[in-house]
Amino acid sequence: MTPYMAVALMSLVAYFIAVKRLGWQPSDLGRALGRVAESLGAGMIFAVVNVLAAAGLVLGLRTLTDRFLSLYSLDDLVWFALSMLQGWVWGLWRDSKAAPLR
Amino acid sequence: MPSSMIVRALGLATLALFFLAAFTPLAAFLYEMITVPVHIERADAIVVLAGGGVLPSGQLTDTSLRRTVRGIALYRDGLAPLLVLSSAAGRRSESAARSVLAGKFGVPDTAILASSAGDTTHEEVAALQPLLRARGVRRLILVTDGAHMRRAMGLVRNAGFEVLAAPVAEVEAPTQPEPRLRLLRAALREGLALVYYHIAGYL
Repeated sequence: MTPYMAVALMSLVAYFIAVKRLGWQPSDLGRALGRVAESLGAGMIFAVVNVLAAAGLVLGLRTLTDRFLSLYSLDDLVWFALSMLQGWVWGLWRDSKAAPLR
Repeated sequence: MPSSMIVRALGLATLALFFLAAFTPLAAFLYEMITVPVHIERADAIVVLAGGGVLPSGQLTDTSLRRTVRGIALYRDGLAPLLVLSSAAGRRSESAARSVLAGKFGVPDTAILASSAGDTTHEEVAALQPLLRARGVRRLILVTDGAHMRRAMGLVRNAGFEVLAAPVAEVEAPTQPEPRLRLLRAALREGLALVYYHIAGYL
C-alpha cells in the first residue's frame, strides 16, 4: 500500500502548492474533477463501441473467410487505453467550441 | 454523445468501480460467482482442455502447463484410467508436448489420448465427444482454468457426459490492487464469453 499512500500524500502536497503558491481557486477543483469524469465517461462509451465493433469484425471475418480469429484477441488493455484517449480528445474538442484552444 | 450529465455519471461510475475493484474484495467476489467448486471423484477419463498452445520454443504456455500438470496429478492419484490431452486445431504440437510431459511423469502411452481439433471451446468439445464415446466414457473429470470451468462444463454436459470439476487456480484471493484488477478482468472476460455462448445457443 506504500505507493498508494505516496500518491495520496503527493495529491495533498500538490493541492497546497496550487492554492498557496500558484493562487488557484479551490472551488475550481470540483469543476476540474467533473471534467475528468466526463472524459472517463466518454472513454467508456468509446470502449464499449470499440469492443462491439471489434467483436463484429472478428465474427464477420470468421464467417466470410476461412481464417480463424479468436475473440480472445479483444482481451487486450491497449484498446482500452486508446478508448480513454478517444474520450479525452473528444472532450477537449467539444470544449474548444466554447473556448478555442490556444 | 448523450448529455454531459449522463457521460459524467458514467465516468464517476467507472471511477467508483476502479476503486472498489482495486481496494476491496469486489473482484474476488465477482470471480467467485462465475467459478465452479472443486468436485473430484473416480471417473472414466480426465479431460484436459487446450490452453493456448506452445511457445515458438516448443514449450507449453503457462496456462497449458498448469492444466496438464493438474491432469497428470489426477491420473497419478488413480482417479481415471484415461488421460485426454486436447489442443486446438492445427496445434498438434500442444497435445504432443503434453503427451511427452505426461510420459515423463509416468503416464503410459496407452492411457493417453491426444486430440487436436477445434478453434473454440465449443468446437473442441464437439470434436472430443465422438472420441470419448468411442472409448466408452460416460463420466469425466474436466480440467481447465477456474474462470473457464462453468462454460466448459455446460458444453460437456450438453454433449451428454457427467462432468466433475477440477479447476486450476489462476489467482487466489489477491490482496494487492493490481492482481485484484487482473481478477476483475478475468471475471469480466469470462462473463462476456458466457453471455456470448448463451446468445449463440451453445449453452
